[in-house]
Amino acid sequence: MKTDKTIISLDPRITREKLPETPDQKPLNELHHWQTFEVFHQEKTGDHHKHVGSLHAPNAEMALLLAKEQFARRYKCVNIWVVKTSDISRTGKEDEDIFETTPEKMYREAGGYKVMDRINKFKDPDKI
Amino acid sequence: MYGGGYIFEETKNGKPESEDQGKLKNFEAKIAAGEKIEPSDWMPAEYRKQLIRMIEQHAHSEIIGALPEGTWITRAPGFRRKMALMAKVQDEVGHAQLLYSAAETLGKPREDMINDLITGKSKYSNVFNYPAVTWADTAVIAWLIDAGAIINQVANSKGSYGPYCRALERICIEESFHLKYGHDNVVFLATGTPKQREMVQDALNRWWKPIMHFFGPSDKISVHTETLMRWKVKMASNDDMRQKFLDMYVPKIWELKLTIPDPNLKKNQTSGKWEYTEPDWEEFKRVINGDGPCNKERLAVRRKSEEKGEWVRRALMRQDEQYVTPLS
Amino acid sequence: MNLSNEYIPAVKDLIFRMADDELILGHRNSEWTGLGPILEEDIAFSSMAQDKLGHAQALYQVLTGMGESDPDTLAFGREEKQMKCCHLVEYPIGEYDFSLMRHFLFDEADAIRFDMLVNSSFEELANVTRKFRGELKYHTMHAKAWVIQLGNGNDESRIRMQNTLNECFPLALGIFEPSGFENQLIESGVFKGEAVLQERWISEISHILKLANLSLPDIDSVRPSYGGRKGIHTEYLKPLLDEMTEVYRIDPKAEW
Repeated sequence: MKTDKTIISLDPRITREKLPETPDQKPLNELHHWQTFEVFHQEKTGDHHKHVGSLHAPNAEMALLLAKEQFARRYKCVNIWVVKTSDISRTGKEDEDIFETTPEKMYREAGGYKVMDRINKFKDPDKI
Repeated sequence: MYGGGYIFEETKNGKPESEDQGKLKNFEAKIAAGEKIEPSDWMPAEYRKQLIRMIEQHAHSEIIGALPEGTWITRAPGFRRKMALMAKVQDEVGHAQLLYSAAETLGKPREDMINDLITGKSKYSNVFNYPAVTWADTAVIAWLIDAGAIINQVANSKGSYGPYCRALERICIEESFHLKYGHDNVVFLATGTPKQREMVQDALNRWWKPIMHFFGPSDKISVHTETLMRWKVKMASNDDMRQKFLDMYVPKIWELKLTIPDPNLKKNQTSGKWEYTEPDWEEFKRVINGDGPCNKERLAVRRKSEEKGEWVRRALMRQDEQYVTPLS
Repeated sequence: MNLSNEYIPAVKDLIFRMADDELILGHRNSEWTGLGPILEEDIAFSSMAQDKLGHAQALYQVLTGMGESDPDTLAFGREEKQMKCCHLVEYPIGEYDFSLMRHFLFDEADAIRFDMLVNSSFEELANVTRKFRGELKYHTMHAKAWVIQLGNGNDESRIRMQNTLNECFPLALGIFEPSGFENQLIESGVFKGEAVLQERWISEISHILKLANLSLPDIDSVRPSYGGRKGIHTEYLKPLLDEMTEVYRIDPKAEW
C-alpha cells in the first residue's frame, strides 16, 4: 500500500528530501552511467605515466576533471591522461606464448657477455 | 570503510565438475604459487560469480556506509572535524567507485550492480542499517568499524584477483586516515567533559552489537567456504578476524576507561582467545534480509540519488557510445 | 605594508564578507556528499566544498591575526545578523542544476576577486589569495565544463540550466553589494572594489554563457538581492546556522 508519509531521518539532509516511506521497488530503467575511461597519472616530472584505474565519464574533458579528484586528490601527481577504454588495444590472453622465450635471449642482455675469464687467461696463461 | 561479513552463496562443495579440469588445475596452481588472476585470464564460473558478489557487496557497503556518517556532515563541530568528516565520507564514495570498477572488470556493468542494490537483490554490510544517533556515533563508527574493515581488507588485499587487490591497497592507505581520525575523535570525547564522555559511552553501547556482527556469522554456522579459501577469495575466517580485532582494540577502548557492554568479554589466558557473549545471529540475518532499523531509508536514499542525477547523466549521454568492460 | 588604523574596519568587513560566503557555500555544497548525481562527480564536488571551508578558515585566521577571535568561534559562534554572506550562498541545494549554476556564478566571481587581491597592499590577505589560486582554477574549470556541456546537452538540460540561471542571477548580483567601505578599500590599495569586480565578472560569464548557449538576463531589468552584506538574510540562513552549530552548542565549553 502506498502512503504519502515521508521519511523523517536523523540526517536533516534526508528529511529535506521528503522521501516516500514506502519507496518503489522497481529497478531503474535508464541509469546512463556513461562509458568508461582508463586513467594514467604521472607522479612527478620524468616518470612514466602509470595506469591507476578507470572511471565513468561522458567525454574526455569531463573524464579529466573527474579523474583529477578521484585519482589525484591525495597523492602527488603532475599530469593525467585519460583514454576511452574502447580505444585501447591489447594483446590477447591466448597469445601469451609470444612472450615465452624472451627471457632466454641472453645475447640481448648485458649478463650474456662474460669475458673476464678469457682476459685473465690471456694475461696469465699459466694461472688456472 | 567496510569490508567484512560477506555473504557468500553456498558453493558446490569441492571441485566444480563442469569446468575444464586441465584449465582448473592450472588456475589453482597459479593461485597456490601466489600469482594474481587478471580479468582476461581463464577462471571457473564459480570464482567469477563469487568474486562479483563479494566485490559488489563491498562497493555497496561503501556507498551505503557514506550515509550513517553523512548524517552528521552538516553538524560537525568546528573546522577540523567538519573538513575531516567530509573528506572521510568522500573517501567512502571514492572507495565505492574503485570497487565497482574492480567488479566491472568481471563483466557486470555498474548500472546492473546499482539496480541490484536499490531493489534489495544484493546485500551490503549489516552495520550500516543501524542509525548514527549522535555525533559520538560517527566517532565510534570511524574508529571501530573502520578498524574492523582494515583487518578484513588487509587480509583480502593478499587475495587472488588482481583488480580487487589493487583497489584494496589504495583503500587501506585511506582507511588508515579514517582510523586515526576516528580514534582522535573518540579520544577527545572520552577525555572531554562529562557530557562528552556520556555521549561516547552511549554510542559505544549502541555500536558494540553491530561491531561484533561485522565480521559475519561464527565459523561454526557459516556456509562452507573451503573452496573460496583455496581460491583466495576469502582470506581469513570470520572468527579469526573477530579475534584479531578484539586483540587490537579492546585494550585501546579500556585505556579510555570506557565500558564495553558485554559482561562476558575477557581474554582466556590459557587459550589466548577472547571469550564473549555469542552475538545474536538471528538478528543479523533479520537485518541483512531487510528488517533493520534503517534498511528502508538507506535504499530509499540511494534510489533517490540515482533518480535525482538521472537528468544530468542523460543530458551528456551520447547515443553512439558503447559501454565496454573496463580493463583492469 | 602595515595597514593604517583608519582602514582596519574596512578590511575586516571585506574579509568577513569573503569568509562568510566561503563558509556557507562550503557548508551547502557539502550536503551533496554521498548523494551526488554520479559517484565521480560526487567526489569532485565534495573536494571543492572542502576547499571552500579551507578558504573560509584561512580568511578567518587573517581576522584572528587582526585581533578577532579564533576561526572556530568566528564561524560557529556568531549570530545571524552578524553574518555578512550574500543571499546566493544561503539557499538550499535544490536540484543539481541550481547547485551547479550557483557554483559557476559564485566561483567565477571568487576567482576574479582572488586574482584582484593577489597584489593587495594588505599582505596577509594577498598571501591567502595566492595560496588558493590553483584550487580556484580547478573550481572554475569544473564549473565551466558542466555549464557549457549541460547548456549544450539535451532539451531538458538546456531548459533547466536557463531557468536556474534566471533564478540565480539576481542572487548572484548580491555578491557585489557595495559595502559602505568601498572608497576606503580602493584608496588604501587593498581592493579595487565590488563595482570593478562585477564588471569583470559580467564580461567573463557572458563569454562562457554564450558557449553554453544560455542567455544572461538583462542586468537592467533585475533587482539584485541585496542585504546580506549588512546582516539582513534570507529565511534559509538561520536554520542553516542552527543546524551547523547543533553539536557545538551541546557543550560550548567542550573541545570537540
